[in-house]
Amino acid sequence: MNFEAIIGLEIHVEMKTKTKMFSNGPIQFKSEPNTNITYLDLAYPGSLPRLNKQGVINAIRVCNALHMEIDHDLYFDRKNYFYSDLPKGYQITQQDRPIGKKGYLEIEVDGKKKKIGIERLHMEEDTAMQHHFSDYTLLDYNRAGIPLVEIVSYPEIRNGEEARKYVEKIKEIVTYLDVSDGKMENGSLRCDVNISIRPFGSEKFGTKVEVKNLNSTANIETAIDYEMMRQASMLIKGETIQQETRRFDETKKETVLMRVKTDAVDYKYFSEGNIPPVHLSDEFVENAIKTSNELYDEKLVRFENDYKLNTVDAKILLSSKELSLYYDEAAKNTDLYQPLANYIISEVLGYLNKNDLSITEFSVKPKDVADLVIILNEKKINSKQGKDIFAKMIETNKSPLVLKEEMGATIISDEGQIRADIQEIISQNPTLPDDFKNGKTRAQGFVMGLLMKKNKGKVDPILANKLIVEELNK
Amino acid sequence: MNYLDLTIKEIHEALLKKEVKVSDLVKEAIERCKNDNFNALEATNYEEALKEAYELDKEEVPSDNFLFGIPYICKDNLSTRGIETTAGSNILNGYVPSFDATVVKILKENKAIMIAKSTLDELAMGGSGKSGHKGIQYNPYDETKNHLIGGSSSGSAVVTAASYVPFALGSDTGDSIRKPASYAGLVGYKPTYGLISRFGLFPFSVSLDHVGYFTRSVEDAAILFDYLNKYDVNDYTSSLKERTKVYPLNEKKTHKIAVIKEIIDSIKDEEILSAFKKLLTKLESEGNQVDFVSVDSSILKAIYPSYIIISSAEATSNNANLDGIKFGNRKEGNSYQEVMFNTRNEGFSELIKRRFVLGSYALMSENQEEVYLKAKKVRRVVVDTINKLFEEYDAFIAPSSPTAAHSLNEVSDNLDDTYLIADNYLGIGNFGGYPSITIPLDINKEHLPFGLSITGKIFDDAKVLEIAKECEDITGLKNLSTVTINEKEGR
Repeated sequence: MNFEAIIGLEIHVEMKTKTKMFSNGPIQFKSEPNTNITYLDLAYPGSLPRLNKQGVINAIRVCNALHMEIDHDLYFDRKNYFYSDLPKGYQITQQDRPIGKKGYLEIEVDGKKKKIGIERLHMEEDTAMQHHFSDYTLLDYNRAGIPLVEIVSYPEIRNGEEARKYVEKIKEIVTYLDVSDGKMENGSLRCDVNISIRPFGSEKFGTKVEVKNLNSTANIETAIDYEMMRQASMLIKGETIQQETRRFDETKKETVLMRVKTDAVDYKYFSEGNIPPVHLSDEFVENAIKTSNELYDEKLVRFENDYKLNTVDAKILLSSKELSLYYDEAAKNTDLYQPLANYIISEVLGYLNKNDLSITEFSVKPKDVADLVIILNEKKINSKQGKDIFAKMIETNKSPLVLKEEMGATIISDEGQIRADIQEIISQNPTLPDDFKNGKTRAQGFVMGLLMKKNKGKVDPILANKLIVEELNK
Repeated sequence: MNYLDLTIKEIHEALLKKEVKVSDLVKEAIERCKNDNFNALEATNYEEALKEAYELDKEEVPSDNFLFGIPYICKDNLSTRGIETTAGSNILNGYVPSFDATVVKILKENKAIMIAKSTLDELAMGGSGKSGHKGIQYNPYDETKNHLIGGSSSGSAVVTAASYVPFALGSDTGDSIRKPASYAGLVGYKPTYGLISRFGLFPFSVSLDHVGYFTRSVEDAAILFDYLNKYDVNDYTSSLKERTKVYPLNEKKTHKIAVIKEIIDSIKDEEILSAFKKLLTKLESEGNQVDFVSVDSSILKAIYPSYIIISSAEATSNNANLDGIKFGNRKEGNSYQEVMFNTRNEGFSELIKRRFVLGSYALMSENQEEVYLKAKKVRRVVVDTINKLFEEYDAFIAPSSPTAAHSLNEVSDNLDDTYLIADNYLGIGNFGGYPSITIPLDINKEHLPFGLSITGKIFDDAKVLEIAKECEDITGLKNLSTVTINEKEGR
């Protein structure tokens, strides 16, 4: 029997804001536990929530990137349940009217584009962080109240690869928009998977299984593919799939049962009376979108059209948002777009990869790289000198123009002087012209070697080659 | 006579004339609190209060600050920095907040002096003044202690009526200020929703909760209003409207006043009816338009059940933070579930648990439409009906309750019209967020006072206070307290 999988993803993204979604508790990573907290974050009686404007702006930007309908009236609800990491005994969320509805994103599978529909995006708040030990648990409320958006896809994903690409796309969007770190490894982007399978052609949905604890996009793919296999083999054996929550075991590369779902928890949602409905003006929403950062796809089109870069190079430069910004900044200084791209891709990335650094840790200013590309291109220096200057730039952070002078990196391109030097070399080695004419091209290299030696390598090599051939042919 | 027995305004004048010192007032207030015979108090602030008083003795009394050196008492469901705040519930025993409620902060900034916290029905849920962890609050008008004062702001009503202080803070979710004010012969005021910050008020039902206060004159109520009527950035429901001062109140203005016939019809107490009728005649003779209007009694009868459903539902959620994990009177267990269960099971009384069960039932997904959302619809219908009334009238008035204070063992029939309408119509003020005030109407043969309530349009607080002042002038019951009445009657 052949099965198809019905997969829906719920993704929680922590928003990058200065303060929390409903309190003015600061958000700083790497702070001491329980230092970024206010009365509300600990749910002291009488504390009240306020709405973080930047949190709303960020949500609008993500909605826009996901082609969603944006609700201009904000409503908040309470999701009620008791849990040790939930200070108020309820989470403020948007149950009835999410800020975003009916969107989609596009992924590429086997060279073909596929649209994945997105049901809703809503704003809510994070819970406290729990640190479990053998016989006690510590709670860190620094995380309690950090803004989250939850993005819920339609069940239109069919396999692990599509799911991975979907999550990668979300990650790319939130990081390009600069609304989140989007790091699965530290929990600023979290993904839950709902998966069921059914025989091809069947209209009926199978029993849904939830998979949690997926901390990388690779794990999402592996977990889903494993789960599809597991469910298929159960059905083939005639077993019944039960509604349950499983987690992904990273070492075994398989999903493991966490708990069987009995009746769904009743969260007794009702409206949050402390935050009356907020109307967003058209202007506010438009402005949030207008001032939003450029998305990957927009940037790719711009790199291909404005900089006339080929798609392969453009995609390399867009492989991280920071690298693309670096290129943008460097490109302000020259219109040598392709040579600049080549240089950054080969030299700068080469250096970074070799030293396991990221572009944000690269101290050379974009303008200096552009200047180096300019003097190289104008043949004011040769490539060997270019390499030396680049190394020095990293070391000293000086501009290539200054270093060029300091290092005496010049090129001799005076035809008369070069010809005179060549003639002198030939006169000292009189057999060379005959050797050359007899087909020994080695003679040509021999002259070049001596010429460079005499001039400490600063001769324009192309001009020199031309003159050597002329002289040897005389 | 002691200066503490005067109104805020009169005490202020005495301070200005240096007839009395702040420390004298505070010492007397402390003395009276120490001799409290009606079980009104929670944590006290005597030392701090005295210290502040001596400091203020050294300062010139500012003529423009009525609150300078005035002692007051604060209901124990308002957060007070460094002073234990329990909301009358065992679950919060030992909880010492690290911040002041906005109203407490405002009073502090204006040099009013907090003497103590007053007790209440547990978590402000209840109207009897007997459900808190301190037990019963007795009505000071009956020294035999056979009458209740009502709640939930029971302690605050006691301390103002027995003149421990000239004013006290309270909170009002259904009628928790205005009903005890009626039983205690006081002015009890709940301004328009959103004018006084709720920041620091332990929430019962956030869409119905109001902060308000007890005074012994309408003028004092107006004076206090101008201090507390402030936008607060910490309360997202705080109104953005520009605030205007109401004191001094406009005088000699006539008003269009409605009397809802069905409310009056459900009252059987002859003394109350006749006092009310007398007042109406006087109001008319002074040029006011007073009309009896009719409101569908089924709408009025639906107020109490829908109030109970909405407030209990919201209360389950508002009190879900009381789980023993972060603060409060934690009861240990072997897991977080056990800690929560033990803390809540031992911390809440049966009455509270019953409300939570009711509230949870109303919110359950299979019931929500039929119960909670229906109650909210009723609320909407009530508000629409009253708003329509306010298109023609400045306010509606009625006796605050169908009887004077209840005796300890009295039981009322919770299904008759008297209870459903006359005893619970004050919830209208919370449903619509209307400004609503109780003032003393008269005193009955048993020497128990009873009140009159005036409810007006939202943000029309000035007018409600004006009408209240006019009624107070008619009744002559200004600065009523057990002390002044005993003096008057020569006891």
